[in-house]
Parts: sequence; C-alpha cells; structure tokens
Amino acid sequence: MVNPILDPTGGAARVREDVLLATPRARLQGATIGLLENTKQNASLFLDELGKLLVDRYGAVGVVARTKQAFALPVPDDLLEELATTCQAVVTGVGDCGSCSGSAVADGVAFERRGIPAAVICSDAFTVTADAMAVVKGAKGYRYATTAHPVAVLTPDQVRTRAEQALPQVVALLTGGAIGGGG
Amino acid sequence: MTPDPDVAQAAIEYCYDQGWSDGLPLVPASRPLVDAFLATTTRPPEEVIGRNVQVDRECTVELAAINAAMAGCRPEYFPVVLAAWEALIRDRAAGGGGWQSTSGPAPLIVVNGPVRARLGFNCGVGVFGPGFRPNATVARAIGLIVRNVYGIVPQVLEQATQGLPGRWSICVGENEEESPWPPLAVDAGLPEDTSAVSAMLLRTCEFVDNRHTQDPEQVLWDLADTISRTGSLIFRDTSAGVVFGPEHAGLLAKSGYRRADVQSWLVEHCGRTRADLRRAGKNGVGENNVRYADAATDRDEEFERILPSPQHVPVIVAGSRNAAMSMVVRVFGLWSGQAVAVQLPDM
Repeated sequence: MVNPILDPTGGAARVREDVLLATPRARLQGATIGLLENTKQNASLFLDELGKLLVDRYGAVGVVARTKQAFALPVPDDLLEELATTCQAVVTGVGDCGSCSGSAVADGVAFERRGIPAAVICSDAFTVTADAMAVVKGAKGYRYATTAHPVAVLTPDQVRTRAEQALPQVVALLTGGAIGGGG
Repeated sequence: MTPDPDVAQAAIEYCYDQGWSDGLPLVPASRPLVDAFLATTTRPPEEVIGRNVQVDRECTVELAAINAAMAGCRPEYFPVVLAAWEALIRDRAAGGGGWQSTSGPAPLIVVNGPVRARLGFNCGVGVFGPGFRPNATVARAIGLIVRNVYGIVPQVLEQATQGLPGRWSICVGENEEESPWPPLAVDAGLPEDTSAVSAMLLRTCEFVDNRHTQDPEQVLWDLADTISRTGSLIFRDTSAGVVFGPEHAGLLAKSGYRRADVQSWLVEHCGRTRADLRRAGKNGVGENNVRYADAATDRDEEFERILPSPQHVPVIVAGSRNAAMSMVVRVFGLWSGQAVAVQLPDM
C-alpha cells in the first residue's frame, strides 16, 4: 500500500465558459467613452489623449474619466457599474507593471461580461502576464492593445504620440473583436 | 539501515515534474504527514484562510498544510505558518499585488514569544540564515503557498524584474533575551509572553557595521545615511526598518533611547535635500505621489524627510551581540504594525 503524493495546488483553476465578448460591439459615433486609469505614471494622460482622439476623429460625444486607486486589484463593483451605465465603451490601462497588467486585462474581461466593449492597454513587457491573466479569467486569447515599454518615463509629448499610435488598435478592439479567432 | 534513497529521489523528481517546486527539492506530502500538520490546529481543513481576488484563488488550511509539509516544516511548525500567513494577509502590499510585482519583494517574518525556544527558531548568530530548519522552512512554506495555491509562478504571473536574494527565506526570531526593548509583538499590542508573528515585505537588506563608537547618535547617523539613499525612493515617502544587532540596541538603550525614540529620531533625520533628489531625478512628486525629474531648482536647499511616521520604521532586535552591526531592511509599502498570535495546541 503506497500513499499518493498530495497536490499542493488545489487542483485546476476554475475556468469560466460563459460568453465573453460584449455584443454588439461599440458604435463610436455618439458614444460616451469611459476612461479608467490605474494611477500608473502617464496612464491618466495616455487615456485622456485617447479620449480626445476618439471624440475628435470618431464622433464620440464625450468621456467619463475615472481612476482605479488600487492598480493591482479588480475594478470595484460600483465603479464598474457606473461606467457600464454611463458609457458605451471603456478604455482602461496602462498595464505597465507586474500586477496591474494582469489586473487591467481582468478589468477588460469584466467590462465585456457586463456588456460593455472594452479596450485594455498594456506595455509590451507584460504580454506574458496579460495573457496568463486572460486564461485565469476564462478568456484565453483575449486581445488588448500594446504600447512599447516603458511608458512611465515618457514626456507628455511622447505620451501623446503613443496614444496616437495605439488609436487604431483601440478602435479595432472597441468596434471589432477583442478575442482571438475574429470573434 | 537508511530509508530507500531511490524511492525518495523518485518522489522528489515527481514533485519537480508537476511544477510544484521553487527550485529546491520538496518533501513529498502524504496523507498521514499532512494529517499530522492538521492535528496541530483546531481550524478545519476546509477553512479559507486567504483569497486572491486577482487570480480567483483561495487558500484553505489543508492546502497551507500540504505546502508547509512540502517546504520541509515539521508538523509542529504549522501554527507558526498559519500566523505568518495571517500576518501577511494584513499587509496591504501583499494583498495589493505584491506577489506579482516587478519589485519581487520578500516577506520578512518575525517570530516572538516562547514558541521560538520551543521550536528552535534562530534569534542569534546568523539570524538571517541559513542553517535553521524552522526559520528556513516557515519562510519557504509561504513562498510555496503563493506559487502553488495562488498560481503566481515566476515569469508568468510573477514578474520580478530581478527579484532579490533571500525571497522566501527571511524569517527571524526576535532576540528578546538580549533586547533592551519590549518584544515587537508586545509593542504591537499583544500581551507579554505571547507567541506571535509579524510580517512585512522587503525590497532588500543592507548592513550597517559600526563598532568603533560609543556615541549612540553616531550610530543613528550611520543608519540614517544608509536609509536615506535615493535609490529606494519611488513615491513621496518610503519605509525602512532596522533589525538592530543587540549591541547597537544596547548602546542606544543605555543612553535612554526607547524604541519609539529611535523611530522618532530616524523620522526626523532621514531624508535628502531637494538638490540631491534633483540630481537623482526624483525631486518632483506627481498627484499620484510618484517621484519624477523636475527641472525646478528654486527649493534646492530644502530638506525632505522621507519616513513620515513610526509605522514606516519598524524596529526589531535580532542577531548576536558579538559585533556592533545592524541591518537596514527596506520595506515594500507600509508595515501593518500588527502581530498575529500563534494558536498553539496544548503540548
């Protein structure tokens, strides 16, 4: 009689199988855009710039800008609910650290599940974490916009350039699909 | 006759193959071994003792016991592991993404009270290790719980830029017997002679070797110089504890310094001029409290204190009285100021 070796992990992670993406996708013309920044250096300016570009070039009517104070933790329910009821699309980030990159993706998934198309922005140094968090949240293959690392060190003008560069990805995510396979 | 090494090796390799190891061999945990751990606590195996909302995972008493067993703990250490885990739950940075952070912080676990002698925690010579099973394995158990139960694995959900030497291995017994001050846990509000654990996250440790003065202020200035480096400043403020060697602590106490006096002195004297901060690109402070390079030179002469409160300066006594050295420990976030009593079974 041999004793089995016990598993220290508690078994496989719970994986949600429910519908992931908000449908229909966003129509930017006339939309109010939620901007959820996470306090990371330059995140606020990055999202503000994207908001302006979405208003100026895509006909969005305005933005609701909010701050997630605890960048590593999920967006609080009341904040999620506020943005979900006042906005037709949400942009969130910048995932520019070990914990906030995954957290930004988790928030994007949460908004999608709440029926609000979302675009998450992560720096390209954290794609492994971002992808791993998507799997944890049952959203394998979740797409997000990337910007080159680092973000924190950029000047305001450089941040504006980055926002301009990220704009096509953000628009595609909000109006098209945010999951692999063209979904 | 010794136990069968071939069987032991096969079991160790099995654990490696499952991805459970922190790099070193694990003790394969069997049901009878884990039951011996569970017998040291009145808490039921299914009780949830930690929840990581980011990754949707929960830690139960049972899972903590399996990981503690695998870390090499003896069953009787388990109440200390549970208290250390609880102390870390109360640490804001640990709950707020610390385990995934680019800073890769290491828990500093401080043990107080009779449990130190009963279980053999090192409090003296070589207190930061290695060589002592309780110190080494209790700290390791915490690391295995984070890895295995929360699934926060290096290079995936754990993104330490460089990490730091000693992560998951820093556990010290406070040298209460040679400390001139009350135990840390007593200052944190627990009754005397309580076995207890305090915990905080560290970004690094740095020694201060000062054995040729009898002037307590000179020792404090030496500590202040190390604490006041610009390198650790990211935000407006920082935290830095001191693990005093008993000789420095004794010198200070002989001159009338209580723990609170030491904390106040350091709060008052640690900091840099704005010119120094400007040179390092850290003189500006944004609305998000993050430091940045500001070109303004008008307030260059101003001295900026960097430790705003005694809670930013935990003071601990550990190590040997064989030389006048102390260790500055750079705290990630802010010490909770709390100690958690160890729930010991009747023995």
